[in-house]
Amino acid sequence: MKQTRFLISALLIAVLVVGALPGTVSAQGPKPDAKTLVVGQSVDVAGFEPQLANSRAEANVLNHIFGTLTKVEDDGKIVPYLAESWTISEDGKQINFTLRDGLTCHDGEALTAEDVAYTFERAANPDNKFTGNIQFVFQSAGYVGVKAEGEKNVIIELKDWSPIAIGLLAEVFIHCKDSYSQKSLEDAAKNPIGSGPYRFVEQKKDDYVLVEKVPTFKVFDVAFDRIYFRVIPEASTRVAELLAGNVDIVTNVPVDQVAAVNASAGAKVQAVAGTRRIYVGFNQRTDKFNTTEGEQAIKKAAVRVALQYAVDVPTICEALLGTTCERANGLVNPPNNNPNLPPYPYDPKKAEELLDAAGYPRKADGTRFEITLQGPRGRYLNDANVVQAIGEYLNAVGVKTNVEIIDWAQYRTTLPTHDAGPLFFLGTGGSTWSAWYDMADISQPKGATNYTEWDGMGGKWFDLLAQSKLPENRSEEKQREIINEMLKLFYDDAPWLFLYFQPDFYGVSNRIDWNARRDEKVFAWQAKLK
Amino acid sequence: MGKYLARRLAQSIIVVFGVTLLSYFALFLAGDPTYLYVSERASQEEIDLVRKQLGFDRPVLEQYLRYIGGLLRGDLGNSLQTRTPALDLVLERLPATLELTIFAMLLSVLLAIPIGVISALKRGTVIDGAAMLFAMAGQSMPSFWLGIMLILFVGLQLRWLPISGHVPIIQPLLNGTFDIATLPDALRHLALPAITIGVFSLSRNARLIRSSMLETLPQDYVQTARSKGLQERLVVMRHAFRNAMIPIVTMIGLEFGFLLSGVVVVETVFSWPGVGRLVFNAINQQDIPLVQASVVVFSFIFVLLNLFVDLIYAQLDPRVRLN
Repeated sequence: MKQTRFLISALLIAVLVVGALPGTVSAQGPKPDAKTLVVGQSVDVAGFEPQLANSRAEANVLNHIFGTLTKVEDDGKIVPYLAESWTISEDGKQINFTLRDGLTCHDGEALTAEDVAYTFERAANPDNKFTGNIQFVFQSAGYVGVKAEGEKNVIIELKDWSPIAIGLLAEVFIHCKDSYSQKSLEDAAKNPIGSGPYRFVEQKKDDYVLVEKVPTFKVFDVAFDRIYFRVIPEASTRVAELLAGNVDIVTNVPVDQVAAVNASAGAKVQAVAGTRRIYVGFNQRTDKFNTTEGEQAIKKAAVRVALQYAVDVPTICEALLGTTCERANGLVNPPNNNPNLPPYPYDPKKAEELLDAAGYPRKADGTRFEITLQGPRGRYLNDANVVQAIGEYLNAVGVKTNVEIIDWAQYRTTLPTHDAGPLFFLGTGGSTWSAWYDMADISQPKGATNYTEWDGMGGKWFDLLAQSKLPENRSEEKQREIINEMLKLFYDDAPWLFLYFQPDFYGVSNRIDWNARRDEKVFAWQAKLK
Repeated sequence: MGKYLARRLAQSIIVVFGVTLLSYFALFLAGDPTYLYVSERASQEEIDLVRKQLGFDRPVLEQYLRYIGGLLRGDLGNSLQTRTPALDLVLERLPATLELTIFAMLLSVLLAIPIGVISALKRGTVIDGAAMLFAMAGQSMPSFWLGIMLILFVGLQLRWLPISGHVPIIQPLLNGTFDIATLPDALRHLALPAITIGVFSLSRNARLIRSSMLETLPQDYVQTARSKGLQERLVVMRHAFRNAMIPIVTMIGLEFGFLLSGVVVVETVFSWPGVGRLVFNAINQQDIPLVQASVVVFSFIFVLLNLFVDLIYAQLDPRVRLN
């Protein structure tokens, strides 16, 4: 008995001593070196099914494993990738992609037009129940079908001409037919066989994904042989790992830690104006909000415009987001926005004058009308505090604003059903490559992201949208003209209270050259040692 | 004994079903899960299609009964996010959580016993005061704060221990691929998260042991042992401590469950790939099959722990009869 106790005690003490041994580095696992890059993201890859990439972090990993027909450059230009060129038929309903020579998948199989066609057919097959982004891509592009012509040509058929189809199709990850036609959905989610610059090596769930350079990939050069995508959900831990030199790139550096990173010897923060449009929506849906004075007030464009002058956006950015930012002048990201529209300035006096003129003077209690502003917690950068600040700005011009902060999980369910509001804080994804993509928020009169009462073809917006699709209006100049006109309409009617493009903060090790992009995509293959 | 075990196991099954029922309906309180599986710009047609594809168009009760049907056949369904079997995902992560919990438990118990016992024996002295001050502080610190402080000080400033990450122990042991050379590294990775999670339990156990010892030490049988001329060490350990252990064993058994359920924050802070983070993400994504699989596994662990505690209780106190 005594011996047993002694043995157990000795074992436990040994475990504790070994555990407490100082060790500056971990002998195993991801460590940056001359051939290895380590990226720290907050979210893991749920699976490697190429058509189920529903988070940015997930798409970032899959982008290294799978190629796409085209890709979007930092400046928004759409350039060839697996396809070396493309042509669009006269009626705009067919896009003919010509593939590069010598493409292969990671199992060695040659990647031909038949494989691309199979990829699209598999992605669109309802039996596979692929939800999320891929459905959005196909619906928005108006995808109808696909056919291979010979070894190198693949034709994507669309319901109609679409100015955003090329950019949207850049989100479909391409793979080979032979390997995937034999894979179950379960196997596809675990063992991807890609067509991109890196091949999948292993995943330790909720820990890291390791990918390795594919020597036969010739479309562009990559510097690092291996990339680890580490999952580090807690922002402070990500920053600590960056400062300790254990990670090269981290996403979403918290605002309050930017200065600490910049003061360190090993890393710097790159702040970029992201493409996510942050705004306060005016919910004008009569079937949802039409009873109180405030709900009726925001149906008037004059009131909506007046409130644009009430909010000091640059101060919100500096005080709450830790960076300077320019106020948005609409729903489209620069440089595709209408450059002739000056962002509404902060001018509370003018806001008050306009509200008076709109028929909402201050009453005896000092208020004009009462309204509820809803916003999420934990979805956007410092969201709850920004919403509180906006509430205070509106209070200051006499709009008694009741701020309701709701957990994102609950809040998001109220958005597609138009139950959020009547004022609601939101950020929707935008792009650098097309004004039309950003304007797709209001692509249908009853669309999920359309909170206006603009209806059918009677609305000028939808009238212009229809005109933009006519064959005679498809030239770049004509398109620009129509876009600018629509954006002017949006600016004047102000269905959103325009705020800012959400800034993104990336921590980058000083040992590498790498530039953060505006669209939240992390193309780690672009990193090089200094 | 056999009858007792059978009865307890039958009760356990009812408990597990009860827990699955509650958690299933609780998930729907957060709203229609369909919206988590469509793009933010999805049209109503797309939303309706996905709702149907995922089976959320059926009444919740019908969905639950289907789930129970599957459960009875041993099929806990596929995760909505990964499309892979939900039970496999939970079992894959369980070893990492068990490593953390067991190590935290060891730290907690092994340190709490001497602290509690010495504190009771030295009642009212500086040692007692210091120990109880430590215990109060340990119970007052939020684990996420302690974790971040340990990361910044021990991990980043001193560079003594890894900041985050995991080197597996149990999984390779089960696979037969365990390499003893990885053990020091694995333990170094375990140290900070285990301390973070274990400090609260250590503090609570130390205080509990102290008070239990203080109740036991003045008992007649302890005085009798002393008057028989036994060494003080034997009096304390064999007569006082053994009897003081009875409530403590119950507490420690439940403590293991508490530690298991409390790993979510610590696993997040230290990027530990365990079940806590899996469940947290699954709840956020309303990945119902995955949440349910986790609930079933955790319920079984809790139920078995309780049963185990009852059995030990009977061993420690012959007056307790399980029938």
